[in-house]
Amino acid sequence: MPGEPAKRTRREEYKKSLQTDEQNAALPKKKFYRQRAHANPFSDHSLTYPISPADMDWAGLYPMYAKQETGEAGHADEKEQKQAKAKATSKDVEIADIGCGFGGLLFALAPKFPATLILGMEIRTSVTEYVEEKVRALRVQNASTNGYQNVSCIRANTMKFLPNFFQKSQLSKIFLCFPDPHFKQRKHKARIVSYTLNSEYAYVLRPGGVVYTITDVEDLHVWMREHFEKHPSFERVERGFEDGVGEDGEGMDECVRTMRVETEEGKKVERNKGSKFVACFRRLQDPAWP
Amino acid sequence: MVIPYQCLVARNSPTPNGSDWIIVGASGSRIVIQSHNGAISTWPEQHAQSRDQEDDGAQERPGKRIRLEQPKEQKSNFSSLVLSNDGQYLVGVTGEDKTIRVFQIDRQNHLRQLSERCMSRRPSSITLTSDDSTILCADKFGDVYALPLLPSPDDDKVEQSETPAIEQPEEKEWLPSATALTVHSGRNRKTLEEQLKQKAKGPAKSKEPMRFKHDLLLGHVSMLTDIVCTKVDGRSYIITADRDEHIRISRGQPQAHIIEGFCFGHEAFISRLCLTPSGRLVSGGGDEHLFVWNWQNYYLSEKLSIKHSVWAYLETLPGQSYLGYLSYESFKIAISGIWNLPSSEPNRIGEEIVVACEGIPALFRFFTTGIGLRVSGGTYIPLSGNALDVAVMGILPASSTMVVSIDNIHKPGSTTEAREDKVSRLQIFSQQQDGQWQEDASMEDALKSFADQGLDEQVERASDDGKAVRDMLYNMENLRKRPGAED
Repeated sequence: MPGEPAKRTRREEYKKSLQTDEQNAALPKKKFYRQRAHANPFSDHSLTYPISPADMDWAGLYPMYAKQETGEAGHADEKEQKQAKAKATSKDVEIADIGCGFGGLLFALAPKFPATLILGMEIRTSVTEYVEEKVRALRVQNASTNGYQNVSCIRANTMKFLPNFFQKSQLSKIFLCFPDPHFKQRKHKARIVSYTLNSEYAYVLRPGGVVYTITDVEDLHVWMREHFEKHPSFERVERGFEDGVGEDGEGMDECVRTMRVETEEGKKVERNKGSKFVACFRRLQDPAWP
Repeated sequence: MVIPYQCLVARNSPTPNGSDWIIVGASGSRIVIQSHNGAISTWPEQHAQSRDQEDDGAQERPGKRIRLEQPKEQKSNFSSLVLSNDGQYLVGVTGEDKTIRVFQIDRQNHLRQLSERCMSRRPSSITLTSDDSTILCADKFGDVYALPLLPSPDDDKVEQSETPAIEQPEEKEWLPSATALTVHSGRNRKTLEEQLKQKAKGPAKSKEPMRFKHDLLLGHVSMLTDIVCTKVDGRSYIITADRDEHIRISRGQPQAHIIEGFCFGHEAFISRLCLTPSGRLVSGGGDEHLFVWNWQNYYLSEKLSIKHSVWAYLETLPGQSYLGYLSYESFKIAISGIWNLPSSEPNRIGEEIVVACEGIPALFRFFTTGIGLRVSGGTYIPLSGNALDVAVMGILPASSTMVVSIDNIHKPGSTTEAREDKVSRLQIFSQQQDGQWQEDASMEDALKSFADQGLDEQVERASDDGKAVRDMLYNMENLRKRPGAED
């Protein structure tokens, strides 16, 4: 494709300049990180993922929350334990934004839940890079208040590897905002919501936790609703939670409000005067096991 | 040359003396069955002239429609066989046409096909629930379906009338799902255009739906490679393994949507799961080790180095011809089978497991103790050709017999080179007093004609250089991911 190499060079130069210019902590520019909006969730991208949640380097993502070393050096057996500890954080991630894109929601949620670790997960490499850069810049800019230390982003294919990152019942909220609609019939298995995938969301969510979904594609909205409603581990939340009452949507869940306006796509839909469909589902207690 | 048995299963009949058995093998698209009294039969039945008619006539196969070339000769090969616990039914999967076939085994030891159900995705592993009522089918797309072993007429009626809404949304009045108000990437815009064009032509014809009772239980977004189910303290479990290193523990029906946990640790694909009588789970695939799990606690209790054992065995072979230029580091194994053997000595520490690796002419014995203490590992049983499958029978209550299917068409140690010498398609071993396995001449005699039966592969061989047979026999190493292949 003509023009392609020039684009790549420009991007590389830009990213290099960001690195050398770290002390200024300028926010990254989106135009250098754009990437086509689709990724094939079935292919074996050269992804990195932890063998299990315990192997995940959480301290690298949330250095402020890294577990303090206990001090004295033990014998060989304890060495391994210590290594594991070095990767652990004093808190676990509780909010996951799956398909976080350029991270609009993440950066809106971070100050709202200052004591909660929030993780964005995105399958597109350069979009992930953008969010990582932005996290770094915002942390430097807000060093005095320790702002944005609770938010981070990783590249991941959650459809395949969600349980590699999170333990059972670890999360309290999962966001699925403006997912790829995969319009074609034969691509429907690639959708981020399906009856079988919902079991994995139920696994990482604690009872009472909520899956938030928003889309501007009615067809996808209906699809997501059907698949969650069919799944015995979930129930749709009350109307007020999603919409609130009256013009101002009083009583609307704070996160729904944020999701409606703060996501990148949400803003785009606003500009286009399109409609937004919200549906949230609460994780139910597992039934007794005979 | 006759195609080797790619699948082999055996079962002891529940009789007082415990010495009655049947053995079933699949050679290409043909099934051969023999019982302890010597009665032997094949499916489809071989009557030279009537064979073709039979193929065309009575059995109208749903999957047949999509096969383009040579519908008569190119019959689907069996990829797995399962015998019901009561020994009365045989379930077979034919891969190419994605069909699950249920056979009844009658008193004369003949197979009668009761049903054929064409799945929408290719089944990769099947198992039966402990009460023999339900087939669990894990497929290449990552889904697990439950099908009744013997569908009642009611089941099918229900499915005909109410087609699930989610599977067939095109039956509603069709509307394009993208609208002018939708946020668009260029690609979405193109899709919308295509949908509008499509509307002019009428809705696209979707895949043939499955017109029989089938319940979607669970799914991975990864190719499933094996499924086992078990019952512990009244609770039933479904354990599934995939190409992306996952072993998932789910509740059994009717709560199969609940994931209880995962057994994490594998770093390459998993190809086989095996539950031992004491309830341990052994898994293996492309990794250097067999993993032994305390699976109810998702805890890895032992790792047994299978690669080391295989390498040590290959080094003993004359001329090291199998190793070639390989170094230990670059040498890779792909486990193709794990079987647990009934313990003949109750006082022995640990349970015996036998493992086969793709393209390796030996079986490898391990003893698992489950407490992280390896008593003995890496003893092997050399074979005259690559091990393909193993069927275990307890001929006498005191000892057991192992029937091993041998690749008679490829050179030992190779999955590609044709072999010139003639070799038996079965090797049979019986366990001795001291626990060792020795070739059993009397059983070999008893299974002589079973060993000779099967599908003659000359036709196929000529046409594609034996690739079809090779792909049927050796498909595990293909599961390995190739880093950097795409992105």
